Amino acid sequence: MPDRPVVLALDRNRRNLELLTEFLNREGIDVRATMSIEELDQAIEEADTVSVALLDLAGFDRSIWARCERLQEAGIPFLVISPRQSVQLYQDGLSRGARAVLVKPLGARELIALIRGLMADRA
Amino acid sequence: MCEGSVATRALRLDAAPTRASTGIPGLDEVLDGGLIPQRSYLVRGGPGTGKTTLGLHFLAAGASRGESVLFISLTESEEVVRQNAAAMGLDLTGVAFLDLSPTADYFVEAESYDLFSPADVEREPVTQGIVARVRELTPRRVFVDSMSQLRYLARDAFQYRKQVVSFLRFLMQLEATVLFASEAGSEAPDEDLQFLSDGVMELRFTPRGRAASIVKFRGSGFVSGWHALRISPGGMRVFPRLVPGNLSEEMPTETIPSGVPELDELLHGGLQRGTITVLAGPTGTGKTTVGLLFMKEAAGRGERSVVYTFEEEPEVLMRRAEAINIPVKAMVERNTLEVVKVEPLRFSPDEFGHMVREEVENRGARIVMIDSVAGYRLSLRGTDLVAHLHALAKYTANRGVTVLLVSEVEAITGDFRATEVGISYMADNIIFFRYIELRGELRKAIGVLKMRLSDFERTLREIGITRYGVKVGRPLTHVRGILSGRTPWDGSEDED
Repeated sequence: MPDRPVVLALDRNRRNLELLTEFLNREGIDVRATMSIEELDQAIEEADTVSVALLDLAGFDRSIWARCERLQEAGIPFLVISPRQSVQLYQDGLSRGARAVLVKPLGARELIALIRGLMADRA
Repeated sequence: MCEGSVATRALRLDAAPTRASTGIPGLDEVLDGGLIPQRSYLVRGGPGTGKTTLGLHFLAAGASRGESVLFISLTESEEVVRQNAAAMGLDLTGVAFLDLSPTADYFVEAESYDLFSPADVEREPVTQGIVARVRELTPRRVFVDSMSQLRYLARDAFQYRKQVVSFLRFLMQLEATVLFASEAGSEAPDEDLQFLSDGVMELRFTPRGRAASIVKFRGSGFVSGWHALRISPGGMRVFPRLVPGNLSEEMPTETIPSGVPELDELLHGGLQRGTITVLAGPTGTGKTTVGLLFMKEAAGRGERSVVYTFEEEPEVLMRRAEAINIPVKAMVERNTLEVVKVEPLRFSPDEFGHMVREEVENRGARIVMIDSVAGYRLSLRGTDLVAHLHALAKYTANRGVTVLLVSEVEAITGDFRATEVGISYMADNIIFFRYIELRGELRKAIGVLKMRLSDFERTLREIGITRYGVKVGRPLTHVRGILSGRTPWDGSEDED
């Protein structure tokens, strides 16, 4: 279907979500924005249309890893965004199937390249 | 001559560009007339040094000439800027604002983000805001406060530099003269901005108050060095450093007498106009009094004199003068004399220099006495005061004014020392005073050590100050050793 692709995004910070949405929309991508684990769970239920997920770890506890596993099971490639450079987070993220662990702040061009790459893999 | 050729025309334009006034008294003079239009200038300095104030003056000056002017604020809100300007009595009607400072919501609504770098998120709205407003107004003058803020919107130094250059080009293409502020600090060095701009003004705090300096000014001369700067309720003003000789006039050598025949004999007629005379001697020997004699004579010719007194109250000085038959009150009433008390630690040397200059240039003072050099050193703030005094004296003398410097020597008797340390080199003439012990009595003597432009008597004379006036005696040829203070009487009728 020629529908616009959808990125599922999780972030506690509303402004971050707004900026991300604004930016991806301009790139021709729709965003399903979620701000809590519950919202995320629900979004994964309706996951058929989601092509890529972005998870900002800031403000979430370890329960986020369980969602990573669910995303992996659902076959949705995802990126983990870490508030800081951390080997532990890096290992945790990758071992749960994250395609990459990115450290904030993200470069806009790098991000869109990664997302497009993941979508192409899926296609 | 190829009158019409592009080359000659360009040259001629370069030779005498019209200037844009900064609106700050004194600063235009430092800048050789003002800023060259359609160029960009950097104002740098630490917090509170007056960058924004300078920018406001610059815009207000343009607005008062009916130019379209724009204030681009990246840090302070329009309201605050307008309030501050009003407090200084600056009229900002006609000054357009582009307020890009963060609003209070930014903090309250936790609208901070961290997903992307500010360079990616905010540069575009800021740039678009500026471009839209500038296109709409096509301002003749733009002040950006401050350019440092844009640094955080660039991803790296290279990007920033490129952005600033293209921003400035954009403004100047629209024929604007641009002034932009930068907070200079070790945290965020701004050398790059200094390279990019056509001129750099630096503002800073010094122990003697605020000061401004031009570091760079492409295509124009300027008065170098630090100039005192004052921000008062009336706004900002700069007191250009006096550079001796830069305004010199050709003066006919003319001698002004003291009016006391014996003293004039000693000086072979008197002091020359446009010279610096040091009156040196211990306390109470009559230095100030002799200075006033020349002023009294000048007043008789209708000329104006000014005494800057650093130690003595004007009333005391005037009472003393009246007591020895110098009619200072009448002179003051006729405007031929002014006695100015210089309050300690109130002025910087530049401000004091400005005061003297006003007197000389605008009120026509012909004799200026600084009483005393030690007082000048103690009362003015700052360092290197002798150099400043030298510049001031030289400058004043070059305008044809007779400068009298009163220099107190501490030693009452003993080995002779002409003046205080480091003063005599600036003197064209040195008149010295000595206490002498003559037959067991303390008397005073006056002599001339040096006169650059004329001959003088090599002898010493006794000087007495009485209620009928100053009495100078015949040459003291019958005593010797006066300079050492021990003066045996020739007849050696010692009275032990």
